[in-house]
Formats: sequence, structure tokens, C-alpha cells
Amino acid sequence: MTMAAIGDETQVDTTGKRKPSGPALWLLAPGVIWMLLFLVLPILMMVYVSFWTQTTFKIEPTLTLKSWITFFSSETYLGALWTTVRIWLIVLVSTVLVGYPAALFVGLFVRNKTIQTVLLVLCVIPFWTSFLIRVLAWRPMLGKEGAINLILMKIGIVQQPIEVLLFSELSVIIGMTQIYCVFMVGPIAFMLGRIDPSVIEAAQDLGASFGRIFRTIILPLSMPGVVVGGIFVSVMVLGEFATSAALSGRKVNLLGNIIVTQVGSLKWAFAAVAGVVLTVLMGAVVAALLRVVDLRKEL
Amino acid sequence: MSAALQLVNVSKSYGDLKALDRVELALPDDAYISLLGPSGSGKTTLLRVIAGFEEPEQGAILFNGKRIDGIAPHNRGIGFVFQNFALFPHLSVSENIAFGLVNREFNPITDMASVKTRVRDIISLVGLTGLEDRAVTQISGGQRQRVALARTLVTEPKMVLLDEPLGALDANLRSRMRIELRAIRERCGVTFLHVTGSESEALAMGDTVLVLERGHIAQSARSDLLYNRPASPAVARFLNCYNLFSGSIADNIFVSQTGRFAIGGFRQPSSQPAYAIRYDRVDIRDKDAPVHQDEVRLEGNFVASEYSGSAINSFFSLDDGRVFEVESHLSRSAPQTYVEKGRYALVWKREDALVFA
Repeated sequence: MTMAAIGDETQVDTTGKRKPSGPALWLLAPGVIWMLLFLVLPILMMVYVSFWTQTTFKIEPTLTLKSWITFFSSETYLGALWTTVRIWLIVLVSTVLVGYPAALFVGLFVRNKTIQTVLLVLCVIPFWTSFLIRVLAWRPMLGKEGAINLILMKIGIVQQPIEVLLFSELSVIIGMTQIYCVFMVGPIAFMLGRIDPSVIEAAQDLGASFGRIFRTIILPLSMPGVVVGGIFVSVMVLGEFATSAALSGRKVNLLGNIIVTQVGSLKWAFAAVAGVVLTVLMGAVVAALLRVVDLRKEL
Repeated sequence: MSAALQLVNVSKSYGDLKALDRVELALPDDAYISLLGPSGSGKTTLLRVIAGFEEPEQGAILFNGKRIDGIAPHNRGIGFVFQNFALFPHLSVSENIAFGLVNREFNPITDMASVKTRVRDIISLVGLTGLEDRAVTQISGGQRQRVALARTLVTEPKMVLLDEPLGALDANLRSRMRIELRAIRERCGVTFLHVTGSESEALAMGDTVLVLERGHIAQSARSDLLYNRPASPAVARFLNCYNLFSGSIADNIFVSQTGRFAIGGFRQPSSQPAYAIRYDRVDIRDKDAPVHQDEVRLEGNFVASEYSGSAINSFFSLDDGRVFEVESHLSRSAPQTYVEKGRYALVWKREDALVFA
């Protein structure tokens, strides 16, 4: 996909029907070589290794379907696949639910460009600390004797601490939503900021209520932002393993966690199977999201 | 003709800047009115106040006898056509036009068949037949202009405000759309208030021309009256067809830094004394040519001329350094050639001059 985009841009830049000729094509060489060596080749290797024969202590390049059969007949692994899909969908929805209103405020209701930038920078501030700290910081918040339970008990809303808050699927979802929300806010706010204010005034002048204007004008015009944000969040959540490891107490196993464990115990063929499944899943998700909106036309 | 729209003592300011300063205005029903003003004169503010996008700080706006200030824009019965058209970029031509009918809060039309009929009627009225399903990003500037107009007209407003509607079009299209806009207006019989910064556009289009100057209405008159009898030196300057001199009057003689002019023509009461002579009322003669009794004479050095097809505009530098412009229509005489830096007599009839005093 990256390659295709680069190729297209070169053609546009030369303005005209003339195709880029010999020497100009060499400009692509570093990028192409890099991608071949570190993206295409490893992916092919991964597919290849997934068919190797794995025994307890070693791996042999004898082709077999055994790892694939084990993966698709094991409840653990299919369960992990299902958990991955479920958590991805929930996080995707919750980042939209949390991110869209914030983006709406920043992109549409703040018309001052400086304040807009300041607000977007504020969204990024958590990224100034390391990923692990951001994840682990949720433990003292959500724990049995954590901040949230403490406050809820102090003001008497609950008698017993809510235990489901930490080391559960819920805590993984809460953590991921917070970490990835900003990737949803940014693209949506950008698209909303591009809406000409007079278009909204025109809709008002024609008598539409805010709800109508939102549904018929603002939402469709911001869809490309939602899709781009959705792609960001999906790709990151589908490949996640750290948040679930840190916040679920190993109760929630995502495909990412499976890969980490298998690699840790030198089960390369098996890790490769999970890797291929994950890559195919991501490819399908991105393709599906791109189906929703024709980004080329919209951006 | 009764006054459809009336503005009484309307003021609006942004910080220290008075955008509208006690505007008094009465617009007739069923007419094409152009609102002319230099940039920064408050044209757009006036339009936005009438439309309801801005509220005035003081004064009242009456529409068909009812006060409308404080009422939401869409409840005023006034349509607005934006300068950049503000079409909905993701909707087709017919969806853009149908938007108001389908989505308005008050009395929306739910019967799709009747929406279709009305959209089809208005599309043929503005001449967009055949483009119904095109995306608005795939049509030309003039067609977008028509979509913007149709989108407003289909909701049957009693008045339409157009904010520099021809500003985004190229010159050729602009002159065609002028005729088109007037024709469309006559067909639907509503008042158009057309804001423009171009004096030729304002004069060509308006049954009545309003001139806005620094937040107040400087003049409201028929095109020909405005052109021949500007109410103040500022209006005359903005019409871009008068040579203006400031000075004072003593004994039927206008005394300015450039020279003394005998007064014989029309006198316009004004707070600022000024002397104005139209570009096309001046004769260029040899320095030694005779001058009649009723003529005023001035000398200047020829600088350059500009050919515009039907006329030649010649520029002269007067002795005090000011530039004096003369427009000679080529239908009356063959083009003359003048010597650069040559000295010529600039002569006009006393009664052709306009005196503000």
C-alpha cells in the first residue's frame, strides 16, 4: 500500500502524462529496498516458518500443516482470537464515543487556531511519559484499594470495593481506551476543522436544527476522520499485548500475548501461525474500514 | 411599492470599530437592490445583521411590518446566498437544493414526491436541468452559483440576500450571471439585496443602488441618479468616474489648490465642499486652443493612456502633482495620440461640473 502511494505521488508531481523516467525512478530505490528487506521479506519468512515442523526442543524446515491444525483446533487459541476481536471492537467503539465529542469541541466549537492547537497538544501530554508507566498507572487507580474504590466508598456509593475494576477485561478496555483515544481525536478534529463555517450557517439559514445539521452535514463530512482514526486504533489494539498483560493479571489473552509466550518458549512455528492470522485480520479490518469512505476522494 | 424591509437606527460594532452606525433603511418589495460599498464599509455586517447571523446592539429591523431582530435566521423568511456559495460538499446538486425543504425544523416536507417536484421546478428555473445528480464538486463556478441560489429560492423566502455573489466567478461569466440573476429574480418576484464592491456591477444590476460608507448609508437612489448626482464627495470618489478637488467657495468661484473654477452647474448640499467633474465630460485640446465663455480650463501634462475598446482613458499630471483622468469615447471621435509629457488644455463646461457645498 505504501509503495503504491509513493508511486502515485511521483506521477502527480511530474504533472503530465509523462511517466517518471529512468533516473527519477532511482529516487524510489532506498525506500523500495528498505521495505523489501524489512517488511516484505520478514512477512514472507513468517508465512514460510508457520509451515515448519516444530518439536519440543527444535524446529526443522520440513513443511507441515501441523501448527495450523493445532491453532484452529485449540480452544485456547480460538478463544484468544475471539477475545482479540471482541476487545478490539469494544475499544474501537469506546474511543469513538469518548473521542468524537472531544474532537467536535476542539474542531468545530473552538474557532481560534491557537487554542485549537493548545487543546490538541493537551491531548498528547500523556505521551510524554513511557507507555508502560501510562499502563501501570491504572493499577493504583482501579485496584481493590485504588483511588476509584476509595472515593466511591468514602462517599458511600458502594459498601464493598468493586473488584471487577482491576485484573479483568474491563480494566484492559479502560486502559486501552485511554491510551488510544487521542489517535481518534486527532484525525476527527482535523476533518471537523476543515468544515467551512458558512456551510453550517447555510444549513441553519435553511432551517435545520443542530441535531439535523449534525446528522446530515457534520457527521458525513467528518467520516474520513473517523475512518483514519479507526485504522490507527485498530492496528494498534489488534497488535496489543502489554496492556492486557499488565492490567488483566494474565487473565485476558490476546493474539499478541500468545505470540509473546510462544516466542518466549521458542515455539517459532506456532508464533508464526498466530502472526499470520493477526496480519490477515489487520489487513481485513483496514480494507473494511477503507470501504466505508473513499479516502482518496475525501482528503 | 411598500417598504418590505426597514432598518431603524441600527448599530453594530466590533470592539472599538463601528461596523454599522445608526443605519436607516427602507427597501421596497419585488425589486433588485444593490448595496455598494468599499471593503470595510460594513456591507457584509449589514447583510449578516439582516439575515440574523449577527444581532445589532441597538435599533430595530422590521420585515413586512413585524420586528425580526432577535428571531433566529431561519424564521425570518429571508434567504442568504453565501459569497463562497457554501454548498454541502458531500451532497449532489438536487440533494443540496432539497436540503432546506427536507431538513428544516419548522414544517419539513416529508412527501418525497412533492420535494422532487419542487426541486425539479427550481432546477429548471435557474437553468440546471441535466445536472441533478452531479456532485457539487464536479460542476463549474457559475453552476455552483445557481445551486446556491436555487437552494435558497426553493424554500420560498420573501427576500434573498446575496453576499458578493459574483465575486468568485471570472469576468466573462460574471457579466452573463448578471443578466441571469436579474431574470431569475423577475421570475420569482422576490426582493434581491445584492452586496458588491464593484460600482459597475451595482449600477448594472440594481433598480435601486445603496451606497454604504463607513457604517452608514451615504446614498440610496436609482442607478442613473446615483451616477449623475452622487450625494457626497465620498460617493463620487467611490463611483470611480469623477475627478475630485477639495477647496472652498468664494463669490461663485470654487477655490482649490489646483486652480479657481467658475461655478455654473448643479450644487449638492454637503458638509465637505468639493468640486467634481466626470471623466467623460472633459475635452482634451491643444494648449493654445480657444476657450468659450462657459468653459473651465485647466492645464496638465500627458502621462499615459489606457485603451479599453470602446473608450480611451488618458491620464494627465496637474501642476500640483495630482492625476487627472479623461475618458474619451471612441464612438464620438477617432483616437487621438498625445505626446508624452506634452502640455494640453483640459476643458469642460461649467454646468457639467458638480459642486458640493
